[in-house]
Amino acid sequence: MNVTYNWLKEFVDFDATPDELAALLTMLGLEVESMVKLGDGLDDVVVALVEEKRQHPNADKLSLCRVNNGKELLDVVCGAQNFSQGDTVVLAQIGAVLPGDFKIKRSKIRGEESCGMLCSDKELGLAEESAGIIVLPPGIATLGTPVFKALGLKDTLFEIGLTPNRSDCLSVIGIARDIAAKLGLKVKLPHSTLVESSEKADSVIGVTIKNPELCPRYAARYISGCTVAPSPEWLVKRLNAVGIRSINNIVDVTNLIMMELGQPLHAFDCLRLSGKRIVVRTAEEGERFATLDNQLRVLTSSDLVICDAERPVALAGIMGGLNSEIESTTTTILLESAFFKPAAIRKTAKRLGLHTESSHRFERGIDIDGVTRALDRAACLIVELAGGVQAKGCIDIYPGKSDRAAITFRPEKANELIGIDLERDAIIDILTRLECQISGCADGSVSVVPPYYRLDIEREIDLIEEIARLNGYDKIPATMPIARVVSDRPTRHQEIEKRVRDLLVNNGMTEIINFSFTAPDSARKLLLGDDDPRHAAIKLANPLVDEQSVMRTTLLPGLLETTARNMNFRSLDLKLFEIRRVYLPCEGEDMPREPLCIVGAITGTRDGDGWSRPNELVDFFDAKGIVETVLDFLDVGGVSWVTENQESYYHPGKSCRIFSGRECIGSVGELHPLVQKNFEIEKPVFCFELDFEKLVKLSRTKKTITAPSRFPDSTRDVAMLIPEELAASKIIDCIRTEKSNEIEHVQIFDVYRGKGVPEGYKSIAVRIRYRSIERTLAEEEIATLHNKIIANLTDKLKVTVR
Amino acid sequence: MREQLEQLRNGALQAIATASSVEQLQDIRISLLGRKGELTALMKGLGSLSAAERPMVGQLVNTVRDEIESALGVAIESANEKIIATRIQSERIDISLPGRRPLKGTKHPVSLVIEEICSIFAGLGFAVAEGPEIEHDWYNFEALNFPPEHPARDMQDTFFVENDMLLRTHTSPVQIRTMLKQKPPVRIIAPGTVYRCDSDATHSPMFHQIEGLMVDTKVTFGDLKGILTVFTNQLFGQKTGVRLRPSYFPFTEPSAEVDIACVICGGKGCRVCKNSGWLEILGAGMVDPEVYRHVQYDAENISGFAFGMGIERIAMLKYGISDMRLLFENDVRFLRQF
Repeated sequence: MNVTYNWLKEFVDFDATPDELAALLTMLGLEVESMVKLGDGLDDVVVALVEEKRQHPNADKLSLCRVNNGKELLDVVCGAQNFSQGDTVVLAQIGAVLPGDFKIKRSKIRGEESCGMLCSDKELGLAEESAGIIVLPPGIATLGTPVFKALGLKDTLFEIGLTPNRSDCLSVIGIARDIAAKLGLKVKLPHSTLVESSEKADSVIGVTIKNPELCPRYAARYISGCTVAPSPEWLVKRLNAVGIRSINNIVDVTNLIMMELGQPLHAFDCLRLSGKRIVVRTAEEGERFATLDNQLRVLTSSDLVICDAERPVALAGIMGGLNSEIESTTTTILLESAFFKPAAIRKTAKRLGLHTESSHRFERGIDIDGVTRALDRAACLIVELAGGVQAKGCIDIYPGKSDRAAITFRPEKANELIGIDLERDAIIDILTRLECQISGCADGSVSVVPPYYRLDIEREIDLIEEIARLNGYDKIPATMPIARVVSDRPTRHQEIEKRVRDLLVNNGMTEIINFSFTAPDSARKLLLGDDDPRHAAIKLANPLVDEQSVMRTTLLPGLLETTARNMNFRSLDLKLFEIRRVYLPCEGEDMPREPLCIVGAITGTRDGDGWSRPNELVDFFDAKGIVETVLDFLDVGGVSWVTENQESYYHPGKSCRIFSGRECIGSVGELHPLVQKNFEIEKPVFCFELDFEKLVKLSRTKKTITAPSRFPDSTRDVAMLIPEELAASKIIDCIRTEKSNEIEHVQIFDVYRGKGVPEGYKSIAVRIRYRSIERTLAEEEIATLHNKIIANLTDKLKVTVR
Repeated sequence: MREQLEQLRNGALQAIATASSVEQLQDIRISLLGRKGELTALMKGLGSLSAAERPMVGQLVNTVRDEIESALGVAIESANEKIIATRIQSERIDISLPGRRPLKGTKHPVSLVIEEICSIFAGLGFAVAEGPEIEHDWYNFEALNFPPEHPARDMQDTFFVENDMLLRTHTSPVQIRTMLKQKPPVRIIAPGTVYRCDSDATHSPMFHQIEGLMVDTKVTFGDLKGILTVFTNQLFGQKTGVRLRPSYFPFTEPSAEVDIACVICGGKGCRVCKNSGWLEILGAGMVDPEVYRHVQYDAENISGFAFGMGIERIAMLKYGISDMRLLFENDVRFLRQF
């Protein structure tokens, strides 16, 4: 809502400066979002007199003027023709900065010196177009007076960010009322003197409301013999100041009154209304109607229309019709002022995507009590500006007339909830200043009837808010609550999420956060099979762009896009992870599932480029290692790495699924070359995925800790040849089948292929550390155990010990 | 024998003095004092001496041996010292080369801010609550006193999904879910992801909020002011000015926008605060009785407040980030700075 300082001042006589007023409004909840001081910085643009005007010697279209600014005579070159010697004009002096950052400098124009510029309305930002320079009435002000001061244009424009509850402040009067209530002043209502003819309005035009529930009040006035013309300067400027374009004197008056009193009005060309009748009814299903903006609208039976005897002439509360609009030839006017049901207007405006100043006010609710006041004032102004006479009486059909319900209000409840200690009288005084009707009740409470225009006040709590607001939020002391102690700590889920995030970060990984929505084809890019459930993504009904139109079912596409984007910026050593939700539709369930997932991607060199290390590239085992660290940290037991039924997006020879017992908890692998290509990634990337919800379920929180042995160890190395296809893990498993407490640690310390190892074989070297918790092991004991293990390996796995 | 000893001693001391390595010294020790050494051989010859000579010569042998031992000890120690000195000299490194760092990971700034805010409120006795992001209209709007067709719904551009569900536009539905599950006293904060169909330099279609809710007997608007003052002082520094001004949210009344003194200019006025000296960081208010009605709380006997704030906005202020899009581009050159 735009409003100016001077306009507000016409309604309430306050002393505050524009800056003070801005602060006051903001602290009343009418937030001043911006403030423009009109004419500010234009003090060098002054009233001046043209003492002498002659032809420029070197240019036909220019004149040379000697201009008096009250202090000195200045030479100014001017291109305009619409003035003569002796005229009072507007001079922008050297140093002035006009709107658009146009600096006035001393200059030479075609060889003649010019010490300033004579200005037009356009150059001062007062109009969009102007034919010539401004010629002021003679003697308007002392020469040298800043022109904005001389013209009374010095004003401040406030842009107020209104909250949806304050529909009353969609008008100058509404804001003025709040200022008055805060400062203890009275609002001055604009005075209208009605001059009416003897012809009775209701004998000229009949009004029928067929749907009183949608239109509880409809009022109209009839004006004949008026002349449509451009509006006077003051009206144009006032509307321009608040961002409304001038159209003609009739329409401008309706807009002015809407801004002033908050009542949208509509003027019909009465001669174009058929049958001299107005009928307010709902539209017929499929009824067609051309609105003022030249659009043909197809209506439904829930749209409210204003009709003449035959057809719709306006879309109630939203926009008039082409068929009855005011034209330059219009002489007879029916002026409408009504109250329409907010929800109905909103529904129609929303469906048609037709948002107007009028619908904006109606859908938030206007002052039903002020309908005729606005109508009368507008009619008077129209007669004043466009001539003509208004018929006697105001047609006022008011089937929805009812008193506002009284609210029972307990002053002490206000103090209690706000945490202040105001006297009862001070509280009642605030409500009185808000123009509430107050009467006392026997039990100490008060009965409060709020004014009609305050549609937001319906309950005791609404009155309590007014007390807090008008008394001032700054007067409320900051206190600490007296609270009951509740025992609470993070849930296991929250705890584990935080710990896993910490763990990954501590392992050198960078956390990313991608949008939850993704492109519909992102599952395709992962080469997922047709029957893969991850294709079944939840779709947005109104996405912003197609690439963000479905809710992700996997975190991988986002992770891979992020990887690609970073690699494009030459960040080639990446360790990324994301812990976020995926969104899975759940057949037969009320809500989709939103489980947390963990994904990670690594690529590039293992430790970053450095002077001392060979630039070793990360591989599958780095990714696997991270997963192992997480699983170990969460103490997830029975982990196995399974190469059957691999995920489609991994390299089939360098990936696996991860199980804990029989539960698949994730996967790890090198990205499939085709998927890598789909995401435009140039280098190999190794990814892992973990089902966070399953990890939480499987994580063993109670760790068993054992004391370390105090006895010496004995270590034996054994190297063996095994066929390529035999998994190295089988060797460890086989050694571990020997359930001896003396095997402290088993570790593969070398994998070798090449010289001395036959084709199709690999050499695996294992180190076994023997140690007892109870005693020093004898050499013979160790030998027996070790030989047994080797025998197992040769018998069961057919390995050849080297 | 005496001369023999004398000679042996002189020879030994000479050899020790000229020896150049620990190994040579060890050899000298063995050749003199070892089992087959010269001095050992002389000692064995003591038996052939007369009883009168034996103690005298024996003593002399011992003296010579001690002398040689001690000279050897000194020489070995000094040889060892030389070895270490040489080693140290030869092992010098250029310590100006960069250290070998374990790779450092970083949390996303949104996670960092959520963690920090949660820990401040944990200190004030608030537990963390969560809720679904794909929500029913009832939890996101209706129970929060946004009736259907209400203009207040325009404040939040909503993404809709099938089956009459939507992407939650704020974390406030967690208030409803929490109150339906438990009776007062309630003290929670709810961090989470929210969505609005809006995208430009200052709006992202997905962003994060933290919601707070406290319901108990006799909680006042002044208490809300107190809690938020403590919170903003902990987050932005002890002396940060806090201002509450009237606003409107359907689910709170009275409602407030909470401003802090601009952290960039300290309240003098700058571009970030649009010359107002204040930065809006929070929406808050006393829970509206209509909300209590929807969760079957008795509005007459309890009271409480709720507040909500945008995480990205706070992250941007805390870290001086001017473009919100940076937070979701996931450029590691940006993320690694946190």
